Amino acid sequence: MNCRETLEQAYLYLDGEGLSEQRRREIRAHLEDCVPCYERVGIEQEVTALLAKLRGCTACPDELRVRITSLIERF
Amino acid sequence: MAESVPRLSMDDKRRFQEEALPLLDSLYAGALRMTRNPADAEDLVQETMLRAYRSFNRFEPGTNLKAWLFRILTNAYINVYRKRQREPQKVSQDDVEEFDLYQELKDHDPQFSATPETIVLDSLVDSDIIEAIDALPEQFRLAVILSDIEGFTYAEMAEIMDVPLGTVMSRLHRGRKALQKRLWDLAVERGIVKNVS
Repeated sequence: MNCRETLEQAYLYLDGEGLSEQRRREIRAHLEDCVPCYERVGIEQEVTALLAKLRGCTACPDELRVRITSLIERF
Repeated sequence: MAESVPRLSMDDKRRFQEEALPLLDSLYAGALRMTRNPADAEDLVQETMLRAYRSFNRFEPGTNLKAWLFRILTNAYINVYRKRQREPQKVSQDDVEEFDLYQELKDHDPQFSATPETIVLDSLVDSDIIEAIDALPEQFRLAVILSDIEGFTYAEMAEIMDVPLGTVMSRLHRGRKALQKRLWDLAVERGIVKNVS
């Protein structure tokens, strides 16, 4: 597992998509040994974490919820 | 012309109230990031819920309701609201694959190290992140919202956006790069990053 392969598959690795367990182990091992790759993947992870923080922060406005609930009730 | 509206059974109606209504927060959040406008977001959510209610007898129980609702939401957004909206597009769709946030941080953040968090990204607040997302071209913005805020899988995103898996991955990859560029530009604007030539 070299740097190029690791970085090409970095998103699949971080997103938990499309890679065999074997491949995931190989990438993990490379990241443990290679500081630049570790840092690079770390940045990707950090940016995604900034977005994940937004989850659950926005609430549906009360009057919209009430309006929809009563529309459904009337149908 | 009278629209034929299939009547939901009492069971289906109750199931909709119990299972779909709790997802309103999530749907509104998604709608807000899509439309970038609270009034449009409200209309979009209401439209989505009415469409969902009318076709709920076609939803297969036990399958992913949130993905099913987001598909209706995304569809309604693309067909109804997107046409009406101005696209500010502060980030162009070209060049984004060349942008290298890691290299920029290494070059310009004097305290950059191998720790998980960097000073630059840590200094950005939620409204900065939202501003960066809002500036993305629509296809990138949708992909980033669905994956990184709402947590859908690639397969779910393919269903929601009605595109092949390869297209999902491409838009997400490029969307993330475009977002990183926008975050960097914001950091420079805010003076969080210094010594930028």
